[in-house]
Parts: sequence; structure tokens; C-alpha cells
Amino acid sequence: MPRPEIEQITFTVDGRTVEAPAGTMLADAAKLGDVDIPVFCYEPKLGAPVGACRMCLVEVEGIPKLQTACSTPVRDGMVVDTQSDRVKGAQESVVEFLLLNHPLDCPVCDKGGECPLQDISFGWGRGETRFQEPKRHFQKPVELSPLVAIDRERCILCYRCVRFSQEVSEDYQLVLHERGADTFVGTFDGHPYVAPFSGNIIELCPVGALTSQAYRFRARPWDIEQSGSVCTMCPGQCNVSYTVRDDRVVRVLNRENDAVDDGWLCDRGRFAYQSTYVDERVSGPLVREGGELVPASWDRALATAAGILDAADGRVGALAGGTSSNEDGWLLRRLMTEVVGSRDFDSRPAGVLSAGLQAALDAPEAQATVTDLEWADAVLVLDTEPVDDMPVLDLRLRKGVRRHGVRLAVATSRPSALDPNAELSVRFAPGAGEAFACALDAAIGGVGDVGGLARAAGAEPEAVEALGRMLREAGKDVVIVWGERLTHAADPARAANAARALLKASGRLGLLDGHQGSGLLQVPTGGNGRGLRELGVLPNVGPGYSEPAKIGRSSREIAAAAAAGEIDALHLLHVDPVASFPDRARWSSALANATGVIAHASFLTEGVLQHADVVFPSEAGAEKEGTVTHPDGRLQRLRPAVGKPEGTLPTWQVLSHLITALGGRATALTSMMVTTELAEAVPFYAGITHDEIGGFGVRWQEREASAAFPAGDTGPFSLDAPLAAASPNGALRLGSFKSVWSSPEVAHAPALKFLAPKQRAELNPDDAAERGIRHGQRVLVKADGTTVGATAHLRTASPRGSVFLETGLGDQSATALQNPEPTVPSMVTVESA
Amino acid sequence: MTNHLLFENIDEPGLASIEVYKRRGGYQMAEQALAMARDSIITSLKDSGLRGRGGAGFPTGLKASFIPQGKMDKYLVCNADESEPGTFKDRELMQKNPHSLIEGMIIAAYAVGANKAFIFIRGEYVQQAEILEKAIEEAKAAGYIGSNILGRGVELDMWVHRGAGAYICGEETGLLDALEGRRGNPRLKPPFPANQGLYQGPTLINNVETLTAITYILKVGADAYKAMGVEKSSGTKLISVSGNVRRPGNYEIEMGMTGRDIIYGLAGGIEEDREVLLWFPGGSSSPVLTKDDLDLPYDYDSLAGAKTMLGSGAIIVADDSNSVVDIAVKTASFYKHESCGKCTPCREGTSWTTKMLKRIQSGEATPMDLDVISSVCEQIMGNCLCVLGDAMAMPVASMVTKFRPHFEAHIEQARVANEARLLAELSAQGNVLQGIAAD
Repeated sequence: MPRPEIEQITFTVDGRTVEAPAGTMLADAAKLGDVDIPVFCYEPKLGAPVGACRMCLVEVEGIPKLQTACSTPVRDGMVVDTQSDRVKGAQESVVEFLLLNHPLDCPVCDKGGECPLQDISFGWGRGETRFQEPKRHFQKPVELSPLVAIDRERCILCYRCVRFSQEVSEDYQLVLHERGADTFVGTFDGHPYVAPFSGNIIELCPVGALTSQAYRFRARPWDIEQSGSVCTMCPGQCNVSYTVRDDRVVRVLNRENDAVDDGWLCDRGRFAYQSTYVDERVSGPLVREGGELVPASWDRALATAAGILDAADGRVGALAGGTSSNEDGWLLRRLMTEVVGSRDFDSRPAGVLSAGLQAALDAPEAQATVTDLEWADAVLVLDTEPVDDMPVLDLRLRKGVRRHGVRLAVATSRPSALDPNAELSVRFAPGAGEAFACALDAAIGGVGDVGGLARAAGAEPEAVEALGRMLREAGKDVVIVWGERLTHAADPARAANAARALLKASGRLGLLDGHQGSGLLQVPTGGNGRGLRELGVLPNVGPGYSEPAKIGRSSREIAAAAAAGEIDALHLLHVDPVASFPDRARWSSALANATGVIAHASFLTEGVLQHADVVFPSEAGAEKEGTVTHPDGRLQRLRPAVGKPEGTLPTWQVLSHLITALGGRATALTSMMVTTELAEAVPFYAGITHDEIGGFGVRWQEREASAAFPAGDTGPFSLDAPLAAASPNGALRLGSFKSVWSSPEVAHAPALKFLAPKQRAELNPDDAAERGIRHGQRVLVKADGTTVGATAHLRTASPRGSVFLETGLGDQSATALQNPEPTVPSMVTVESA
Repeated sequence: MTNHLLFENIDEPGLASIEVYKRRGGYQMAEQALAMARDSIITSLKDSGLRGRGGAGFPTGLKASFIPQGKMDKYLVCNADESEPGTFKDRELMQKNPHSLIEGMIIAAYAVGANKAFIFIRGEYVQQAEILEKAIEEAKAAGYIGSNILGRGVELDMWVHRGAGAYICGEETGLLDALEGRRGNPRLKPPFPANQGLYQGPTLINNVETLTAITYILKVGADAYKAMGVEKSSGTKLISVSGNVRRPGNYEIEMGMTGRDIIYGLAGGIEEDREVLLWFPGGSSSPVLTKDDLDLPYDYDSLAGAKTMLGSGAIIVADDSNSVVDIAVKTASFYKHESCGKCTPCREGTSWTTKMLKRIQSGEATPMDLDVISSVCEQIMGNCLCVLGDAMAMPVASMVTKFRPHFEAHIEQARVANEARLLAELSAQGNVLQGIAAD
């Protein structure tokens, strides 16, 4: 569906002539003439207005009854009065009605001071009540969930929260109980409202009925300041506003940026700030002494780290984790290439793609934006689970389907939360992304052996044919949202082949021709995956996707080399490969074998705790300064909201110190100077400054410098048949996933701890029945002498012959069972415990 | 005197079966209609002057003409929720003559091109729902409902859906939400059901009596129907008379009959020859009339002229043995209980008004409370999402205005009684107090 074209019209409100886009609701349009119309239930983010609270009644010339401004679109020549006696009477009585049952507990209410009901009562209320009857009473406050408290006496029944649950996040948990004045909000059977986006209802609530359990009674509005930044925990990079009291973050709110997050946050982004203030956080440098990590002075820690790098004599491998800012990644790159003299660094957990191929995938002509998802004719979600990998995207996809009739297709191994919204859901075997991409290309092009390729991918040929047909016939605006995982094949030729097939299929759909509204959107594994790859924090790619003079080792090769003693030192920037990378066993031995391990970390995760020789504290999200790049190319700016723990240096400064300690050239005295430096190195970032990025970011594709983007080179298409998915043949294929709740921040934030995942084995009920496994029972998943315990979780939508385990759970992770050999798919057996 | 159409053979045994119905000329109009151009049926409806019999009195032909043309799923919904207190005409119609409704629906569906029809019937009408289901089966077997009706390539399917007992589901958009399986809350209008109704498709919603009348309009002809009744209120109307009358029940009258002829003629007058205190002319949501209004002609415009309404045609008569305070409490309590709670003025206003009226009833009020009630009712009227709020505010405000002396007398009596009781209690305690003083 194409975006509508909107013309400007002129109307009159309270005697002022105002220009507004046609179709804008009066409540919004009046603002353009500086006329404020009070509202409670109206919230455009929630979809069509409902006209329930009746606060916005206004007089429109020619219409006898008062009209709700929230639901009346402006028309040319409309004459509106918001000040007449009739309107005033209606406004005063709605305020009076709303306050009948509302307790007068503003002095002890969290919302007091930032409360729309309070403001509107002052602005539009009568200032007194004629009500002498007893008020409505409820038990209060009660736990709606461990994250949200509900005070039903304060509720004015605008039902924004219910609409959010029903029509935005579509978790369908919140409902209205009872009727009339007895109505109250709750879940159907009283179970806690636990959902990935539940915290948004706190912000939506126009009164103090829904409050954050984590923020309750922590501050009053006059104690706090708001400070805008960007959340970097996932590629969604939602814009946030930190609430700061006494130099501590006490709350996170969304900072609406339609092009990025549409004004929503996931619960991880909203509550993970708590992990900044826990004892487990690394708050100063540590060095290993007698086998233990002990606090050390900065001088000593820097000297030790410099010593490790110096002694390794170039035999150093480095990894940059997904949350690294562009500045951190850039300085790590400079440290490695200019000073240490190693090309062995990577920012991807697995898989290698050539510079040319990366450039072809990230070319401005092929780039879809987040808003395109809302207006496309069709969207294919390929090998990614948005709600886990980039949560806020899940809401955007639902919005597109619900409000604009976007046709959605899902092609994944594991069942997706979006399946119910999708016109078509296709499953393929875990790890068979390459074969699936080839099958999809054949189905779209109507060429080749679709059936054979689909079977090789472990998918149903008819389903792949139908998917091809749907995408081909959908219209000219098609967006493919694809997970970096698609190109994680251990064999570089396979990874490249998957990318090529994707490009070929996209080309057939016209996704690469540069027309607006269609294209590819890659969901990287790390939050700043795109920024790091554009800076060339990859073994085979230079800044701006240039071809490097020398090609180094990828993360998988670094692990192998370190395990084999070919690499002496490892430098881990905000990443613990043992905890989060595939092939856990090899990384364990790599870290154990390395003579020196330098880590930048917030928490002592297992690999860091056991093997790091020096640990530098990483900044928490709210302490960080720098830039990141959104998956659609939007450079966004991180601004520190609070100071760092006393005596702590920011990561960019630590890296700068290491560069100079090893005889390198000192270039950056501030974070901003690093930004300037990297903008000079990446041709299509040229000249970008913090000021230009501003509060809402800027897409480099929309700047002049984007002309400097290099031409892509997909390389020759492989004539090899894609790697066929293994036949289960008694065993089960191992698939893995990382849930939104799997992160150290969740594990350490007191409010979120209860959500930290426990291992579960998801499998098809038929596979379970064959093994005598029931839902909810304990099972053992085994491969090559390694055993992982899990709870069986039967899902009918799960494909037969596969089992899915969570990663990020230490030695109980899916990664513990993965086969280290690049050519052999991981197979496991599942049995009752 | 009265000209019977809908109730023509109403008491004939077995009329609910298709055999008897057809013997009485049933389904001939449907057959005839299917041979007509769709437009000409709508034109007939417009010419007949038929107005919606559910309460709002909107011209039926005009409403049908709002349904967009073109090939798509369109819906016809029969509102058989009949939940307005005092109304029970549709119940008798559906129970005794279900095929006339089905025939009317077939004609209406054909006229607007609807291919799916629903009868949303109130949950308590168990027997009537079963009768309708049986009648639909009979009509299907006889080829009047199906994918190719009477071989004319016309498609129509019909279902009976039982409500779950909420008054608000009689409001057309609340009904649509309930029919879709949601909580029955009214929707914001526009969009109107004619454009976006059931499942977002074009939907024509009409009352049982309206749809049934369509059959008879075709039978007698639009002009003959128009000739019945009075200007702008043509045809006959089913009325339900209840309260303190000798012969309560359903009557079919020609529009324009006076209230006196209905209450004292058809319904046999007041029990024990008492005086009329007040009467609701169109269900409990209509502003009340007094004995001075008995000579008003019973039609849409005359009643509107008297600042009340014909509504669903339910006349509730209360004689002077009743207290207007009790009636007001009862009326307000009903609407408070049935308010869906979606919009503020109705949810809070009905609850507040009820609380105030109960305080008046129990003698803890002052005449100033009557002013507050009037002002609250005034702020409900016209400011709500649907008309449920008005449905309470209109009759209550009319009672407070027209019977203010009654309310004030009740308040004064109660005050005097309370004072006497307090004095008696105090003097009883007086001994005790004296005893304490003596210590």
C-alpha cells in the first residue's frame, strides 16, 4: 500500500486561521494554531480514535451536537470553537465526572506533577465538585505483573492500556471486566500481565493507575531530569529518555522517533537500567593475580594490557561485541591494525562475507527503512524472530498488517510470534538458510528445481512455491527483513551462496533498483552490527566496505587459531564468546590457551571470569557517549545521561591509552574527535557530526556523501548445489534461539530477573510422542557426550525433525551442543530425564 | 378502527410453520421481490414512508439506500435484542409469525445486495430463538434461503445469534461488536454501519418490526401503506402497553391514534379507576408524559413536539398509587446497571444520578440535589458516545422537571420523619445523659 499523499487545508479554530494536513484529527490540527484541546483516551499511536473519554468535545459550525475533536478530521473551511459556553460546560462536566471516583491522593501518587488528569483538571475543570456520595473502592495497589502495579481507584477507564494489549502488542491479555461504573482493567483470569512490551502501558496511562514497580516512590517529578539517548541492547536502537535523579538513572521512557521505534520500548530496554546499579557490575579495572581477578589501579591495568599486546607480537585476535559504539569499534580497529599489527578481528559471531557482497547487501538502492515495513505491499521475515532479535520491529510489522493491510510472510526454522499475522508461514530446517534462499529464488523466478531445493532445505515445496507466488504478485513494494543468521554458515562459500541467493531473489522482485518503499533490511546479531561492519571491524573488509590490503581471521578462525596456539592474546570488546558465540567448546579452549586475555565488560560472565587477565569496566547504556548505526543506516547519537562510577574511564579513552602506550599516534582527546576521525575514514559517512545527527539521527543514505558508496560485487554464483539439511534419521536437528530475555542485563536487573530464561527444548508433539516425552517434563538433549538438561516445550507449529534450544545459558546452552566442524550440521538426541 | 397488517393472522394456530404461513399467502412477496429491480424495492420503501421501528425512527428506505453498490460481502442484521424495558412486541411477532420476519429479511437483503444475514436475538428469548432457527431451516428447505434462491442466482445465508444479556447490545454498533465475538461496546460513528459495519463490511441493521413491515408494504403497496397513519408517520405500529392498565399487551395501531384511545380504549383503562400519574410513550428511555398529554396523537412528530419520543412503541402507564421517586430510582438504576462504561458521561453520570436519587428516596437529600440531578442529566444528554446515557437522562430529567413538587414533598416528608425519629432517639438517650450528669 503506497503512502497516502496529503494536501494542506485551511480551517478556523477559535477565530484563528490555521493550515493543517487534510484528514488530521482536530485535536492534533488545533495544536498547529496553538489551541490546546484536552484529551485522555486519544493516542494516535494506538490506532483509530475511540472517542470514549469525551474530554475533547468541541463545537463545529454546522453540526448541532458537540463533536469529539479526537475523531473529527479537519476539512477545508471548517470552523471550530473550543471556547464557547457549551464546550466549556461539557469540558467541566467531563472533568467533574472523571474526578467523582478518583481519589485525591495526588500528594502520594507517583504521577503527581506529571499527570495529564491533574493538568486538565487545573486547566479545564470547575475546581470543585458537587459529589457527596461515597467513592468507588478497590483493593489497592495490586500487582498487575512484577513490573507494573495497578491502582484501580485512580483509573479513569480511558482503556488505552487495554487497546495497547489488544491492538498494538496483540498479546490479548488485558481486558475490561464488569460494566458501567464497576468496570475495571485486568487480565482475563487474573494471571500476571507478562509480555515483551508490557511496560508501555505505564507510559500510556494518563493517570497514576499503572505505575512502574521499579520506579514507584523513587522520585517526584521535581526531583528528576530527562536525558535523551539511544538504547543499544539490540539492533532496534530505540530512542530513550533516561529519568535521572541525583546522577542515577531511575527510569527509562521512550523518546518517540517514528522512523525508529514508533514510540514504543520493550521491557528489557525499559527496565534493564537497573543493572547499572548492582554490586555484580564491574566498576573499576581488574587484573588477575594468583588466579583471581583483583581490583587494580588504572595505570597498572593499562600497563598489564599493553604488556600483553606487546608480548604477543602481532599474534592477537580481537572481537567487538554488538553493543560497541562506532567509536569503540573504530579505536579497536586502529589499535589492531596500526599498533598491534594484526588483521585478526571480527564483529560477527560467525560467517564471513566478502566486502563486495556486503556492499551489495547494504547498498543504498537495496535499503529498506523501518517505516517501509508499514506501507509495503508485502513483507517477508526471513530467518529472524523480530520479537527476540529486534523487538520493536515486531510491533511495526503488526501495525503494518493491522492498519495498512501489509501482506506478511514468515520463513523461519523456529515458529514465529508473527505466524498468526502472516498470510503464509514457511518452515525450513535449522541451518538450512542457504538451501532455502536458493529455493525461494527459484520459486520467485519460476526457474530451477524448486521442489528439490525446498526438500534440501527441509521445507515443503508447495509452501515455497506459494511464497514465491505471493511475493511476485504482491506489488512493487516488497521488503525482506532478514537475519544475519542466514549467512552464519561456517563454510564461507556457503555463507556467500546464501547471500547471493538472497540478492538474486531480491533482484527478481525489484528490491535492488533503488525505488523507495522496498528493499532489504538486515537484522544484525549485535546491536550496532551495521555500524561495526561499515567501519570495517571485520577480518576481510576495510572502512566503508573497501577491500583491505590483507585479509585476517574471522571469529571462528580466531577461535581455532587460539585453541591451536597460533594466537597468543585475545582482546574482547564488550563480548564474551564463551557465553554468546556458537561453538562454545572451542571458544573455551581458545580462551584457556591464550597467554593473555583483555576484556571490556560490565559483568564477569563465565569466559571473562575464568580467563581474562585484565578487565576494563564497560560503560552502562546511560553512561555512554558516541554514535551507533541503525540497521537501516541511521546514525544515532548516544549521550551520557549520568556520570560514570568514580575514577572510571570511558572505553574509547582506554583504547586510546592502549594505542599510545604501544607507541601509536594519539588522535582523540574527546569522543567527538573519534567520531570525526571515523567519519573521515568511511567515505559515505564523510563530514557527519554529532550536531547533524542530533536527537533523531540521520540516515547516511539521505546525505550527499552516500554517492561514495562502493559498487557491490556479488562475485560468481556458485554452481554447487546448496548444502542439504541433514535428514533427522532418528536424531533431531539442533536449532538455537536467543530470547529477548537472554542477556546479562536481564539477569542482573532486580525487576527483570524473574524473566531470565531457563533452558527449554521446543519440539513438535509428534517427535515428542515418538520419544514418550510430555509437555513440561524434564528432558536430556545429547550430542557427542555433551548433555544439556531442559524442559520439554511442545509446539504444534514446530517443524518435525528439529529441536530448538536457547543460547546464552552457560554450559546448558544450545551452543554447548553445536558441532565444531563447519560442514557437519549439529544433530542431537532427546530423551526423558 | 385499527387496520391490522403485521398482526393480521397473528393468533392463527400453526402460523409459525411454513405450511400455514404459505397458505396465508406467505413468501409470495419474496418471490415477487426477487423478480423486481433492487432499486425499485428501495424506492417502494422510501415511498411508503416507513420509519425504523426500533426506536430512532430513521426512514428505512433512505437507510437502505446508503448501502454501497458493488460486489462484496454485505450484511443484513436483524436487531432482535428487544431490551428496552416495556417492549415485548418483537417477541410475539417472532414467536407467532417468524416467517414474516424471514420473508422481510429476504426482501431487504435482496434490495441491498446482502448475502449474509444475522438475527441477533436477546439471550432470554430462548423459545423464540428456537422457533426462528426452525423457521430458517424450513425456509432453506423450501428454497427461500440458499446459494441460488428460487433459481434466480440470488445468494443469502441466515443465522440466529443469541445475545448474552446486555442492554447495550441492542445499540446497533454494540450489537455488531457482540456479534463479532467482542465485548459489546458501542463504536464511534462515523463510520456508520452502512459503510463499515459487521466485519468492516457494509451492513444494514433494522429492527424485527421494521423488517417484517417490509413484507406487508410490498403486499398492500407503498401508497396504501402511506395512506395509513398520518403525515410523516405512515403505516401501523405495534405497541406494547404495560403498567397499571386493565388489559396490558401488544396492539397494532394506525399511527396517529391518541394516547387516551390506547390506554383507555385498547388497554381498558386504569385498574381501580385511578388517575394516570405519568406514562412513558416509547419505552423507559422516553421522557415521561402526564395525564394532561393523553390526547396527543401517537405518532413520531406529535410526540417529538411534546419533547418526548415514540421510541420502540412501549407505553408504560403508572397510576397515582405510585411514587415518582421510586419510578425515577428504578429507571436510573436500570441504565446505571446497563451502561457499558466506555464513555465518561454515561458511566459516571448514570451512577451518580442513581446515587443521588437513592439518597432522595431514603430521605437524606435537600431540594438542591434536584438541581444537581438536572444539571448532571443536561451534561449527559448529547455528550455521550451512544444514546444510552441520554436514555437515562431524558426520562429522569423529565420526571424531575414535571414532578418537582412530588420530589420536594417526598424530601420534606422524609426530613420530618427523620427529625421525629432523631428526637425520639435523643429523648430516649436523655435519661441516660441525665443519669451521667447526676453522678
